[in-house]
Amino acid sequence: MANIPILTLITLSPLLGILILLFTPANKNRLIKTIGIATTFIPFILVIWMFLAYDYSEKGVAFEENLRWIHMPLNTEAYQGQVSSYFIQFNYHLAMDGISLLLVLLTAIVGVMAAFASVHIKKRWKTYFILFLLLEVGMFGVFMARDLFLFFLFFEVTLVATYFLIGIWGYVGREKAANKFLIYNGLGSALMLIAFTLLIATAGFQVDQSVAGQTHLSYSGDLATILQNLIQPSESSVVLSAGMQKTIFILLLVAFGIKLPIFPFHTWMLKVHNEAPPAVVMIHSGVLLKMGAYGLIRFGLFLFPQQTESWATVLAILGVINIIYGAVLALVQKEFKLVLAYSSISHMGVVLLGLSALNEIGLKGAMFQMISHGLISALFFLLVGSLYERTHTTRLDELGGLARSMPFMSGILLIAGLASLGLPGLSGFVGEFLSFLGLFSEMKVIAVVGTLGIILGAVYVLRGVLGITYGPMEDRYIGIRDARLIEAIPMMALTAFIVLLGVYPTIIIDPLQHSFEQFLQLIKVGG
Amino acid sequence: MESVYSQYAWVVPIFPMLAFLVLTALGRQMKEVGVWISIVCTFASFIYALLIFIERVGSNVEDYTKGMDWIRFGGVHLSVGFEVTNLNALMLVIVTFVSLLVNIYSRGYMKGDERITVFFAYVSLFTFSMLGLVISSNMLELYIFWELVGVCSFLLVGFWYQKPAAKAAAKKAFIVTRIGDVGLFIAILLLYVYMPEHALDFASIHNVFTQPDALAAAGIGAGVTTLIGILIFVGAIGKSGQFPLHTWLPDAMEGPTPISALIHAATMVAAGVYLVARTFDVFHASPDAMQVVAYVGGFTAIFAATIGIAQNDIKRILAYSTVSQLGYMMMAIGVGSVTAGMFHLFTHAFFKALLFLGAGSVIHMIHQQDIHQMGGLGKKMKVTAWTFGIGALALSGIPPFSGFWSKDAVLAAAWEGHKGLFVVGIIAAFFTAFYMSRLFFLVFTGKPVTAAKDVHESPPTMTIPLVILAVLAVVSGFVYTPFNSWFGTWLEGTETVEHANYAVMAISTIVGLLGIGLGWLIYRKHAISSEAIAGKLPWLTKLLANKYYIDELYHAIIVTPLRAIGGALAAFDQWVIDGIVRGVASLTLLTGRASTRMQNGQVQTYGLITLLGCVLLIVAIVGRRLW
Amino acid sequence: MSGMLGSYLMLAAILFCLGLYGALTKRSAVIVLLSIELMLNAVNLNLIAFSKYGVVPGLKGQIFSLFNMTIAAAEAAVGIAILIALYRNKGTANVDEFNEMKR
Repeated sequence: MANIPILTLITLSPLLGILILLFTPANKNRLIKTIGIATTFIPFILVIWMFLAYDYSEKGVAFEENLRWIHMPLNTEAYQGQVSSYFIQFNYHLAMDGISLLLVLLTAIVGVMAAFASVHIKKRWKTYFILFLLLEVGMFGVFMARDLFLFFLFFEVTLVATYFLIGIWGYVGREKAANKFLIYNGLGSALMLIAFTLLIATAGFQVDQSVAGQTHLSYSGDLATILQNLIQPSESSVVLSAGMQKTIFILLLVAFGIKLPIFPFHTWMLKVHNEAPPAVVMIHSGVLLKMGAYGLIRFGLFLFPQQTESWATVLAILGVINIIYGAVLALVQKEFKLVLAYSSISHMGVVLLGLSALNEIGLKGAMFQMISHGLISALFFLLVGSLYERTHTTRLDELGGLARSMPFMSGILLIAGLASLGLPGLSGFVGEFLSFLGLFSEMKVIAVVGTLGIILGAVYVLRGVLGITYGPMEDRYIGIRDARLIEAIPMMALTAFIVLLGVYPTIIIDPLQHSFEQFLQLIKVGG
Repeated sequence: MESVYSQYAWVVPIFPMLAFLVLTALGRQMKEVGVWISIVCTFASFIYALLIFIERVGSNVEDYTKGMDWIRFGGVHLSVGFEVTNLNALMLVIVTFVSLLVNIYSRGYMKGDERITVFFAYVSLFTFSMLGLVISSNMLELYIFWELVGVCSFLLVGFWYQKPAAKAAAKKAFIVTRIGDVGLFIAILLLYVYMPEHALDFASIHNVFTQPDALAAAGIGAGVTTLIGILIFVGAIGKSGQFPLHTWLPDAMEGPTPISALIHAATMVAAGVYLVARTFDVFHASPDAMQVVAYVGGFTAIFAATIGIAQNDIKRILAYSTVSQLGYMMMAIGVGSVTAGMFHLFTHAFFKALLFLGAGSVIHMIHQQDIHQMGGLGKKMKVTAWTFGIGALALSGIPPFSGFWSKDAVLAAAWEGHKGLFVVGIIAAFFTAFYMSRLFFLVFTGKPVTAAKDVHESPPTMTIPLVILAVLAVVSGFVYTPFNSWFGTWLEGTETVEHANYAVMAISTIVGLLGIGLGWLIYRKHAISSEAIAGKLPWLTKLLANKYYIDELYHAIIVTPLRAIGGALAAFDQWVIDGIVRGVASLTLLTGRASTRMQNGQVQTYGLITLLGCVLLIVAIVGRRLW
Repeated sequence: MSGMLGSYLMLAAILFCLGLYGALTKRSAVIVLLSIELMLNAVNLNLIAFSKYGVVPGLKGQIFSLFNMTIAAAEAAVGIAILIALYRNKGTANVDEFNEMKR
């Protein structure tokens, strides 16, 4: 197993599908859909295989691939022969630890399900699936990349692919939504780029004098190098001033905060939830939002533990604002997709809350909540897609009583709702409970205020779900049919995952065993 | 003594779970078989629960606990497991037994409903969750099942989902109980933080809270103890429909009647009482928390009883009566007698389930819930009438029916040291007797109302459970009388000396009889016109009929402001937050437009702008030097 | 001698400003061209003044001013040629009529 570059295989396997699709005639839509769906299974199977092969007890990263990629010599004249080489280097560095593993797993699962949901796409299937698979490549890359440059590259790939997916296949206001998405996220990327550049220029600077008489100077985007320089600076490494650290931390916070999204940077994702095709929203809400949280953990928390610690209260308050603000707004929306959008804000608030606890329970709770929310919102939008096919509306005031004509989908919708409001036995509860438990040990009052979100969560979810399924049914919905098999399969699969995580949470908590050790030690030392 | 059956107590909830899974997977194809699966599974559970119970009755059997890790990492161990003590062995029997009877009864009651298998699936899921709740060995696990029973209650209240009233009631049931659940949630967080080694299991809680040294060592002060106690009680308030979170319970009567009997009378609503009894050590360590429990319980008892007088819906009367009786149980625990509380829970489970099933039998026949539309049913539905009468007498606390003994135990407990609460209990008992006699006489005696013509007795599948429950409503009280304190000894593990308090017994009996007598005079003999009384006190009648306007009050102070805040925030989100975003966007556009304007093709303008630019530059450079 | 430099520079500055004023405000393209010549000559004056009285006196400045004159002549020739072409096209020599660059 060690000889197989499995990480690269996972990341690039969707490209195989793209390649095949390129040579497929554009009018054979059945074939295109089959290829599209089948391709998503390749990384899925590989990830499952890796998940089973992963040895939890092993510390650090279990899989790693590191190749020299971009090597750019710089002018050494200024050093007048004292320096043997002076260069910038970016590596093709992929690695897998517990955090990455879970998110890659989530991506693979949601990818398959969203590919199934793509059967509702009405036009230009070839282009659609090419972009879809490209998006998948980007997401895998983001979660595995261990080089700032590589990370940024993959991050931008997801952005561009999503932009077109929203802009071409969305609903009526798709262009506007896509533009808003691009501008907002572009802004985030710009800030992230500034932060990364600063990091590479300072913490990425390395002096290598291991060979006697030779001095190698280099700028590197390698995360391990940067981490090393920041956490345990050697004599030769550039020491960042407190102000600089703070600047970079805030830049990263805003950059990933837009993606997460943190209040008040959330308005773009409402449009996306509302206008994008449901299959894309499954990916977007299920995985792309997690990239924000992931970035915050990987770059914000891990690189700047001291900064994180001094910002913990702010993060917690932002989390509570997210929870309550999202919940209250979800309460008054008339459009079901917007209810879900605001509920995403609320749930990502829980993630933020767990992170800000800065203890093992909270961090793991936040991770759990991310995975759980990914699955739940994927399930929700899977249902929304199928629902829209039948009713041509998802407005709450135009729906009702659908449990009569489609009991199966209503049942699944109810399960998704219950999971979303944190019913024990389903995945939502565990993440919520652990996050609150973690934060409660540190900041009691904030956590207690946050629990208001649990009540409000029940209110808006029931309002939304019961508004669609319960009550008297309008005559025009009499003829509609329940889910077809191809729709039912992903619904049942996602439901199964949600129940599995709810009943046996250890299955995804175990891989996180050593993920936060270093960070927590640093916090302990610093505090 | 080694416990044999207790070691496998987990199989008790497994049977209904199996039934649920099978019914959910294959339900649509097999209506009749599905019903039988549910009944058989529940029966198996009941038999096993009975075995455990009998084993424990036999002699001093040790408590049995077993658990395994559910979530573990680092120093965190959250476990699931089960525990068998005398208290929850009793609960196992009650739950499985009532569930079994309700299962049998529902076979008749729900006949012909096209979603009957869904109904039985839900009931099985509920039975599973309730049993899980009962044998949970720690607070977190209890919370998990606590929520699950809540969701089953929600599903079953909203079973007839097409009725807007059912939809609203289901939503309300879930949300209102959730408010209480959050209290319990926070209590668990507090316990986790404060308990030594973060233990959440009942045994540790017992050990810590019964020993002042351990409490002090864990750093749990009186304030924290009281807080934990009150927060646990908040959870119980929500579940057991105590004031001020009682409003969901009467509305929950929109569900099918067997459900009202099972969930909203005998088992789930009693879970709150069970919870307080289970964590009694916490309360015991905090006199303040005890006071809160006692007074909330007492107030709820009389408060709900008065509302019960003025209701016209047969099920709602029973619902308020349930709220009131749960208040009794809370009061009993609050004044320090877990035994009395649990005893009342025990007897109440039987006679209230009986009353609900009786009411269901009536509703099943005449499809009508307004008691003024009923009358004279006693002649045509003899079994129902007789059994209902027994239930009513038990509820009214007339000797020798079971309710008398348990209510007497509660009142006797209040008599010691809480005379105020005793008086409240007595008055509530009077009201209880009065509204029950009103209900009975209006429904079963008098002239038949013309609307209900083709009335006959319900099928045996419905009447047999009635008869069984009626028998139990009579005899179940004898396990714990002033002359036989076996129940208390068994439950608490120590010899409880029960003084036969004849004064209390006499007072409560007299009050009960008075209430019934008054009801008889007004509604049977028509010696006193009820309209005349209502006419004299119009405001009071209105107040009671509208349930003290609590719903309206909540609507005004919670729902409306929340909607308003939501609306305001939505506007804020759309116009301010998104407005700023749009503002920034349009500002950028505007700047772009303005700079396009400068590019007008006039060479001289360009020159002028260049000049201005140069001047600015010079000023900047020179100015900076001067700085 | 350095007092002389100030006077030259002052004169050059005045000439430049006059030229600038003319170039920016006059409507007739011919006058604009003339004004530009004026500005160029002000620069020439500066160059010569510095080459004579500057910190490092030398011939560079004078040579530069010769270059400048050549360029000015060429510029005037091209400028007037463009002007004539425009005049033929538009029938006017007013600068504010010429906004072809906008499109």
